[in-house]
Amino acid sequence: MVKFLKPNKAVIVLQGRYAGRKAVIVKSFDDGTRDRPYGHCLVAGIKKYPSKVILKDSAKKTVKKSRVKCFVKLVNYQHLMPTRYTLDVDLKDTVTVDALQTKDKKVATCKTIKQRLEERFKTGKNRWFFTKLRF
Amino acid sequence: MVAAKKTEETHESINNRLALVMKSGKYTLGYKTVLKSLRSSKGKLIIIANNCPPLRKSEIEYYAMLCIVGVHHYNGKLQKQLEAAGTFPPSFLHSFLCRLGLGVICFSKSLKSYIP
Repeated sequence: MVKFLKPNKAVIVLQGRYAGRKAVIVKSFDDGTRDRPYGHCLVAGIKKYPSKVILKDSAKKTVKKSRVKCFVKLVNYQHLMPTRYTLDVDLKDTVTVDALQTKDKKVATCKTIKQRLEERFKTGKNRWFFTKLRF
Repeated sequence: MVAAKKTEETHESINNRLALVMKSGKYTLGYKTVLKSLRSSKGKLIIIANNCPPLRKSEIEYYAMLCIVGVHHYNGKLQKQLEAAGTFPPSFLHSFLCRLGLGVICFSKSLKSYIP
């Protein structure tokens, strides 16, 4: 009875190249659009998870290990598994549908997402989101 | 023996209500439609039949938990549910019945029926 596919919801992508990756809903289109007449949402996710950082690592190594590679995608609701987790990262301003139009824009938005997600990862919050789903 | 009887009794009432819903209310049958109705927050109650595969059952329960919809575990197979409701299962292999109406419970039946 409660809508749960809302922005900031953590979600797992089920199909496609990014199957098994965790993502956040940035914008949801419940009734679809002209081009996509089904419920779908704009999603920002992790392409490559940050690896495990241990105490022994040097500063250089930790930087390298905490890198996050991101993706932006429009995904059908059917191809998502919603979770009970949320991720409160402000992506609404940078991640928009027209960022997906050209490759340059896409790369630029991915870079900004990457920065924000890396910041979040370094604070140690939302640990579930940054751990790889094992399957 | 007493326990069996009791379940039978409650079955009766559920079956009656099911039949009522099927006649008067809105419902959907089947796993896919049930997920759809949950996503659009239209479902009100989900009935899951006994022989639903456990992974699917837990998936539906998780969705229901997210959208705060009740789940009812029907003690019986889908066929029986549908018979109770008065419809005969076409070639359904599994069904979730999701009731959409206000007063009516959404049944979501998940049932992988082994048609004998």
